[in-house]
This record gives sequence, C-alpha cells and structure tokens, in this order.
Amino acid sequence: MGASAVINIRKGLDLRLAGAPAPEIVDLSPSGTVTVFPSDYEGIKPRLLVREGDQVKRGTPLFFNKKSDAMRATAPAAGRIKSIAIGPRRIIERIVIEVSGKDEREDFRKHEPDTVLRMPRDEILAKLLTTGLLIHIRQRPFSRMADPSVQPKSIFVNGMATAPFQADPHVCVRGHESAFQAGLNALTRLTSGKVYLCIDPRASHPSPALVNAQNVETIGFTGPHPAGNTSVHIHHVDPIKPHDTIWTVQAADLILIGRLLVEGTVPEGRVIALAGPGVMEPARRYYRARIGESLEHILKGRVDTGEQRIIRGNVLSGAKTSFSDALHLRDNTLNVLPESRERRLLGWIMPGLDQYSQSRSFVSRWMRRDALWAADTRMHGSKRAMVLTGLYDQYVPMNIMTDFLLRAVLARDIEEAVKLGILEVEPEDFALPAFVCPSKMDLMGIIRQGLAQIEREGI
Amino acid sequence: MKKLAQIVEKMHNRVRPLFERGGPLHVFFPIFEAADTFALTPDDVTPGPPHVRDALDMKRTMMFVVIALAPCTLFGIFNAGYLYNTVNQVEGATWITHILRGLRIVLPIIIVSYAVGGFWEVLFALVRKHEINEGFLVTGLLFPLTLPPTIPLWQVAVGISFGVVIGKEIFGGTGFNVLNPALTSRAFLYFAYPAQMSGDNVWAVTDPSTFPQGFTGATSLAVAKAAPAGSDVIAVLRDAGFTFKDMIMGLEPGSIGETSAIAVAIGLVILVVTGIGSWRIIAGGIIGTAATTLLINALPASVRSVAPHLDLPFHYDLVMGGMFFGIVFMATDPVSAAATTPGKWAYGILIGFLTVTIRAFNPAFPAGNMLAILFANVMAPLIDQIVLALHIRQRAAWKGALHRA
Repeated sequence: MGASAVINIRKGLDLRLAGAPAPEIVDLSPSGTVTVFPSDYEGIKPRLLVREGDQVKRGTPLFFNKKSDAMRATAPAAGRIKSIAIGPRRIIERIVIEVSGKDEREDFRKHEPDTVLRMPRDEILAKLLTTGLLIHIRQRPFSRMADPSVQPKSIFVNGMATAPFQADPHVCVRGHESAFQAGLNALTRLTSGKVYLCIDPRASHPSPALVNAQNVETIGFTGPHPAGNTSVHIHHVDPIKPHDTIWTVQAADLILIGRLLVEGTVPEGRVIALAGPGVMEPARRYYRARIGESLEHILKGRVDTGEQRIIRGNVLSGAKTSFSDALHLRDNTLNVLPESRERRLLGWIMPGLDQYSQSRSFVSRWMRRDALWAADTRMHGSKRAMVLTGLYDQYVPMNIMTDFLLRAVLARDIEEAVKLGILEVEPEDFALPAFVCPSKMDLMGIIRQGLAQIEREGI
Repeated sequence: MKKLAQIVEKMHNRVRPLFERGGPLHVFFPIFEAADTFALTPDDVTPGPPHVRDALDMKRTMMFVVIALAPCTLFGIFNAGYLYNTVNQVEGATWITHILRGLRIVLPIIIVSYAVGGFWEVLFALVRKHEINEGFLVTGLLFPLTLPPTIPLWQVAVGISFGVVIGKEIFGGTGFNVLNPALTSRAFLYFAYPAQMSGDNVWAVTDPSTFPQGFTGATSLAVAKAAPAGSDVIAVLRDAGFTFKDMIMGLEPGSIGETSAIAVAIGLVILVVTGIGSWRIIAGGIIGTAATTLLINALPASVRSVAPHLDLPFHYDLVMGGMFFGIVFMATDPVSAAATTPGKWAYGILIGFLTVTIRAFNPAFPAGNMLAILFANVMAPLIDQIVLALHIRQRAAWKGALHRA
C-alpha cells in the first residue's frame, strides 16, 4: 500500500524554529464551560433555537441558517446555556454552555465504516448539515464551507502538516483509525470524481490509518513547506480551472466526520497541538480537549511568563487571539510566541550570528545552518516599496509568477490576477514569501484582499 | 552590545515626542525615523500572519550593495591618486601618497553626491510624508563612480539632482522609477556637459600650473577606436600601455570606479552570493557581449581592416570602459531591470548586444554601455509583458493537458 504516486516539491523552506510539540497525547481535564462561535460558520445567517437557561444535550441544535434551514449548528457538550452574547448589529458573538456532569447526547445513528460506502450522497450530506459538521468540508476557490448543491470535481484530503508547529494528522488520528476510514468512505460518496489523500511518505510518526487508507487515491508529497499546503496538492494533481469546484478537508477534521458516522454522536473533543517557543517545554505536546474549551484553561500554567502572543493555528498563517478566546470549531493547533520589541544596534551592518535569516548576508546562514531558533514576533525592519524581484517565486512551488500576481491584485486588475492563478492560491501560500520579504510587505493580506474582491465582484 | 542598544534607545525615546504628532518638529519626523532606525532596528512587531519574519530588511539589502561597491570605490581612490602622481611626476610618490591624493580628489565628489542627492531624497520624504528610502545610499555612491575624476563639483550636484528628481521622485520614488537614477544622472551630464564628461582630457587630475589644458590621456576604448586602418588593434593598445593584464588591474585612465575588473569582480561575488544582485542578468550580459563580439569578429576581413577595433576579442570588450561595472552594478538594479526570470536573461543579453553594437558601429558614443542599459531599462517592462503573455498561454495549455491526462 502507500502512496500510488510521489510528487517531490523542491521550492520552499522548512523554518528551523525551536518549540515543536512532542508526539504524545494527554487528556486535558475539562473546564466547566464550552463556547460556540456562530461566526465560525461563515456565510450563514444564524437564527437561535435555544435561550439562556435551556438544557441542551451534546448534538442539540443551537441555531439554524435563515437562508437554508437544513444547516444547523449543534452543542459540542451537554449542559445549560449559560449566556448568549449579542454584539453590535444584533450579531450573535458567542454561545457559552455550562457543562453538566452527565454526558447526555443526541443520537445520529451509528454506521459501520463499510456500510458508509453504500450510503446515498444525500443521506451523508443531510447528516453533515443537521450536525453542522459540514463546516469541515471546504470549497475552492475562496475556501468557503462546501455548498452541498454543487458536485465537486474532486475532493482533496490533506494528511500533511509541513508548517511549523502544525498538528500532525498522523498523531491526531491515533485511536480513531476506523473512524478516519469511515470519513474517507463518506467522501467517496460525495463526488463523482476522485478522492485524493495527500500524505508525507516519510512521515516521522506514520499512522496506518493514513498510510494504508482504502478506497481513495493516496498521493505522496515530499519536500519542504509548503509541500503540505492544500493549494500545492491541488495544483500538482488536479488544478482548478475557472468555474471548477473542488472540495478540501483537513485529515484532522475528517476524523470528526468519521466519528459522527461510526459513533452516532457529535464528537465531544479533538486532539490539538500546543507548541511554540512561548510554551513551557514539557507542555509542548498534543492534548485531547473539548471543542470550544476556553483558551485560558488550556494555556494556564503552560505558557511562559512575559508578554506572549497566542495564535490559533500556526505561526505562519494562524490568527492572533487572547486568553479570553476559546477553541474554535476548526482549530487543531495553538501556537505561542514571545512578543519582542527588542531593538538591535546597527542591524544593517552587523554580521548577524545571532539572527535567523534565509539571507546569506547573515553569518548565521553560513555558520549555524543546523541551529534551531527561538522565534519571536519582531518585524526586524520597516515597510518599504517592493524592490527585489524573483525572491518570492523560490518559496511558491506552483506554476505562478508571484511578483506579477501580487502586482495585479495591487492594481485591482482582477482579470489579470485570475489569469495568473489567484484562484489556485490561499493567503497561507504566501506566508513564506512574506516571511522572507525584506520590504516587510503584507503579502498574505494582498492575496486575501484580491480573493475577496473577486468573490464580491464575480469572475 | 545589548546594553549599548538600550542606552541608545533611551536617548532616542527622550527626543521622540518632539517629532511625533503634535510635537514642534513633527514635520521632520522622516528624518528622525531614518536616524532612529539607522541606529537601531525598529521595535515593530508583526501585525498579523506571518507572525515570524526574517531578520533581513531593506536597509541591510541596500547596505550590502554599498559594501559590494567598496572595492571599486577604494580602488578608484587609489587609481585617481596614482594617475595624479604619475602624470604630474610627483617625486617620492608611494602608495600612501597615491591614496591620500586620491582621497582629496574623490571624496569631495562622493560627499557632494550624497549631500545634494540626500537633500532631495529628504525633501521629497518630508513633503510626501513617507520614510526616507535606503536605495539612495546606493545611487549616491554609484553615480560618482561613473564620473571622470576631473568633474567639477557643481556638475556632480546638478547631475545627482537631475537623477534623483527626474529619474526617480517624479515617478513616485523608490520602487516606481523606470530608469536607473544613477545612470540617468550620468547620461544627463554626458549630454549636457560633454566637454567635462568625455574626450581625452578628463581622465586624470592635473596641477593647472604644469598642464593648463589638462592632461591628454585617452582611455583604452578611445585608443582602440582610433587605431588606424589596417593596424593590429591589440598591438595598438599594447603600444599605448593597455595590455589585457593592465586593464584587468585597472591602473589606467577612466571613470573613477569603473577601471578595475578585479574590483568589480569582488563586488559581483558579494552581490551574487548574498542573492541581492541577479546572477541571471550578469550572466546574460556577459553572454550577450561574447556572442555579439564573436559575430563582429566574423565580419569579412575587408570590413575589419578599415576599422581594426572590430577585431577586439570579447574579453577585451568586457574589461574596457564601463562595461563590466555597468553589467554588475547598474543592470542589476532590480527596480529598473526586468522582473521575470526569462526576462532577466533577455534583458542581460540585450544590454551586452547593444553595448558592443554601439561601441563597434557608432564612433560618436564611446559610452555604449550607459546608453545600452538605459535603453534596456525602457524595454524591461515590454520584455516582462511578453514573458507574462507567454506564461499565461502556457498555463492554459498546461491545465488542459493535465486534465486530459
């Protein structure tokens, strides 16, 4: 078994950062509350089905989509609705559930992994809609929640994690191997095309669930980051043409869909990676945590003193947040970086033995090639005009002229941007170019803004 | 080091309020910002993803170009002093007096270039309220190195003003200019004040009491062009004191920083190894020079005997005049060069081809390289557009092929 084809990626960079998580999972004792964020379900208009004080079971619908009442969001834990926070313009910001001791749950009917292979498409979609788990299936271009009325050309399951400190699906899947296979089986029912599972054939902690997956086409990707980015997988296997739709799922998210099918209930928790130089060394590992668990509960006693930046996701593409936040539905990685405003003397001329850089103008690039660096949030320079050319291309392993794609977006030339391949990329694909950019430009923001403009105005 | 950085930071933080919004010196904030971030890297943190950034910034990038120019600058100083002492037959001249004399000749030119150019740069930064761009550190040094050592200082001031204002700032500043500002400055002086920029009398500084007309010392390029019909151009050069070895060393009349191929080669290595200069443009330039020279060398003997400089082999062409310097330091300016990878090759080859062609067939302009690079600057966006159009077509075909497979 194993990958039927291996694609070797040469361009890119594995950041040499200290603070990776140890590949061991420990149970996190639950706190008293979980939080649901309606904003996680982008594109839907929530109408509440519960009120403060109501008792809910795990899997009880909390709200539905005003635009299509099939879509529901469900409670990740049983308990009492403690509070519903309404923000400006009556937007529901968060629903907090006080978890009760007994774990009552709604029943969504169990299936054997093999019988999933014979389930009708509509039945699977209906299950995903009524539980809200459809949110884990994404649709390209634009990376939105999948639209069930569309037949995707193919489905890509991402079983890789090449970004620094990103949770490794080989670790997350432990104990849920058959559920993962059931999830793959379900995906084969959702498309008339192929389901591709992209894995790293040289994974350091391989799980048979991924390596020996059945009923899908397994493709190996080797090489440095971003070899594990979904855009790179699609680009090299089945590129998106205008008006194509492709669905994508993270392997770690597919476990939840698989567990819904084989356990017949909405999963109560998932495995998350806690890592980064701001996390105390023994705490850098994987945790089994409740979905919606408060970040303060997860991080307390595990994060170094001093000002720290909490990131939902990894240090390259994650979102900045704070202790008062909670685990969102699709979070499987938490990174912590020290905030540093330290200023270096004459940075433009110092040999730079103590600085991490890809540039050979730093002595460290020659003398300390194997060092692991304790990263922080320093910008290391001021914003300047785009001057160097051809640099970003070295970090984007796709048939895309990055400089000109960025310029097309900056010039608001949508047509040109589409021709140059913007629909094939996501902001995360420009994280490495932004990392190395000496002009300190917000390249991810440029791509995000370009995609938003195209989505708004149409292709 | 850390301690020192903290002390400097404290000092800066004490005066910072004067320059911030509401402070009495707020108009001059860009100057404060430049001085502040010159001494210390800024204290900014990443505003969002990516949350980590590389330690390299634009200041360091530009500074490494200046470092790459250092060998040419130092050698240029030595050469200017050496020529002075030789031509004026200064007695007891040693390499130390060469350097001291050279400093007296060259430093004022560099200082005027930086001071006047810097004034414009700062003025535009203040009026436009943007930061002072480090690219000027390169322009301000590149320009003097392309000048003859006898250049009047007021012409240096006029030239750099034209280059910075017309060549760069009216396009929107660094990153938006079409032409290389240093070359624009030089071209302006070349056409506005040809008497001080070309000919045989400008290459060595002389003592006016001994040489009221200036010293007549032709450059190798001029000697080769003046070779009489039917003569052997290599022999003519040799008789005038220009062996290939000498021209690689560079102890000869010429623009301040352009004469030594060895000094340029050191700069080339610094630029290419640090990845700041595009090796593709440099390689393209050398290939273009070689290919065009070989073609010209293959012209019928009847044509070549009329103009013996057509016989010059390609390695002579490369080290004579500003060719090598231009390809390494001027052509690689990323803002005015082609930006696509195939475009960089084409752009380099075009420069090599045009330089040799102008040198071979246009006796009026010995400075073929300068004109070739300026022309290629103008053509660069067109080259990129062609590459882009081909890329888009190839993308469509590639996607179709993958789908059929």
